[in-house]
Amino acid sequence: MIPGVTLELILYTTALGLVIIGLAGVVLSSHLFRMVLALVIAEAGANLMLVLSGYRWDAVAPILLQRAEQPTMVDPVPQAMVLTAIVIGVGIQALAVSILIRIRQRYGNLKRRDVAEKMDAEIAASAGIRRDISQDAPLGERPLSPLPAHTAESRGGDA
Amino acid sequence: MNNLVLTIALPLLGAFLLPVLMRLSQAIGLWLGPIILGYGCWLLGNLWFSDISLPLSIAIGGFDAPYGINLYLDSLALLFAFAVQLLGLICWPYALNQDTARRQALMLLLVASSTGLALSGDLFNLYVFYELAAVATFGLVAASTTSAAYAATFRYLILSGIGSVLTLLGIALIYSHTGTLNLAHLAQLAPELLHDRLGMTAYLLILIGIGVKAELFPVNAWVPEIYATASSRLSGFLAGLLSKLALLIILRLLVLIFDQPEAVQIVLVLGILGVISGEFAAWRAKDMRRMLGFSSIGQLGIIFIALSLPDERGLLALLALSLHHLVIKTGLFMLADGWGGSLERLTGAAKRSPVGAALFTLFALSLVGVPPLPGFWAKFTLITELAAQSEPLYLIGLLVFLLATVIETSYLFRIVAKLYSSAETTTNQPEHQNMPGLSLATASLFAITLLAATVLIAPIGDGLQAVAAEAKNAELYIQTVIPATPGGQL
Repeated sequence: MIPGVTLELILYTTALGLVIIGLAGVVLSSHLFRMVLALVIAEAGANLMLVLSGYRWDAVAPILLQRAEQPTMVDPVPQAMVLTAIVIGVGIQALAVSILIRIRQRYGNLKRRDVAEKMDAEIAASAGIRRDISQDAPLGERPLSPLPAHTAESRGGDA
Repeated sequence: MNNLVLTIALPLLGAFLLPVLMRLSQAIGLWLGPIILGYGCWLLGNLWFSDISLPLSIAIGGFDAPYGINLYLDSLALLFAFAVQLLGLICWPYALNQDTARRQALMLLLVASSTGLALSGDLFNLYVFYELAAVATFGLVAASTTSAAYAATFRYLILSGIGSVLTLLGIALIYSHTGTLNLAHLAQLAPELLHDRLGMTAYLLILIGIGVKAELFPVNAWVPEIYATASSRLSGFLAGLLSKLALLIILRLLVLIFDQPEAVQIVLVLGILGVISGEFAAWRAKDMRRMLGFSSIGQLGIIFIALSLPDERGLLALLALSLHHLVIKTGLFMLADGWGGSLERLTGAAKRSPVGAALFTLFALSLVGVPPLPGFWAKFTLITELAAQSEPLYLIGLLVFLLATVIETSYLFRIVAKLYSSAETTTNQPEHQNMPGLSLATASLFAITLLAATVLIAPIGDGLQAVAAEAKNAELYIQTVIPATPGGQL
């Protein structure tokens, strides 16, 4: 083992790394189901951090024994807390997936941008207002009508 | 005193029994929720007028703090717990349709967890109640069953999930450093253990995590869509009360544990950014519900500015603004029940619904802060407090606050002018249907509360001052939860 790198350090880094990977995944992924998966990863990291916060390397499981001298024990509180956190997390993930099923049924796909646009359009339509123009689209009419996808591709190939 | 637990336990029990009872007998099922909430109101109301010496701490499960979980009841917690039960009763989903049972059960769950948020004195317990409230909210918003509601719920769920991961991380950091999660015990240990870089990191993580519900600046992207798709009653409850409860947690953390200038400055900066973004977005909004949602972000930003003030009068301003916003925003959301759509459609609506228009005008006047109404006193307290600070950042806060008031006036009175305009509707959009009677009655109730508060402003102000002084007293909190032992050590 590399000197200075303890098991503890590796575990803490792993926990933090999982959270960062998860959060980055939520922000960057373009598919709603992947966002849920990324959230699962981040939650795993947070849970690992919680377990580590009460762990002691020289200790045993926290069970009271009929012995004269008790050995040092691991702190049981974070373990109880992490159980709660895991249960809450699983519940929320199940809810997220069930909502995703409904979205898939109504909107036909789970692409992030597509769902967001359809949601905006629906809210605007139910309120009876004209939709705000997306910041990505230029103002006004297109000067040339867009080419169908296959011709554009073949032209690109020629050039 | 243990029946205080009933205000959390009974709604929880009711939430799980309700779907079963509804099958056995619809009459019992329909009355169960209002009876439970009514009992909660009565219980807490009694406490307010009884001569029990507040604050007090109740150990749950027979273990004393800091080893067991405790409920902490001071005037502030009592005020908010009472508001939760009462507003739960007012915003109760009375409408009968096929999924009434589910909505009512979720509403009971929301009330139970919100009461828990107001009362609990344990950091992890607060987290659990917070998640419970989140799950109940997801279910209630998705119960609208429009596709947009599902999409909006999903967005809220993801943001809230990020928030809970961050909160959990913050809690883990605090626990690994101190070995306790009891707020009073943490308050004792904080000066030695948590006033460093690691403590600050934990504070930031929890602030952003809890801030998702409090509509704090960077994590409030869920607000406009949720309020546009959820039922008006639910939006009223969320904007009016749940955001304030999240704020209450942050207030407790600031008073008890992270009593440092840096911690307060972050709140101030985020509050200022929230005011700017919320008010400008509200000014641009073209439909009623989203306008109210953005305006709520702006108002919460102002309340966060009040939260960053260092002394008791700042806390007084915070309380006054919170309660005022609770009454006004819930009332406005009730009006949005009939006027939910485009603002253009409201032209000349005063003729069709004179009471609704009068109520809207009253709420708008108070929200802007026209003198005899309570909104003026709340804002006046904040302005004098901000002006008394010497830090330049508070001066920026003051300027932004005044700017926000101008913008607020502009977009609210644009609507008032539309309501009373005599011009014929030029757009060929369908006119609004009549305002539902129940919503109008509820909104009138809030208006009466507002007018009563105008008359009784002096005693209310004194009462809030006492509440603020008690809530600001960290020493009292510690002494109540962990009675002093000789030497001051545990």
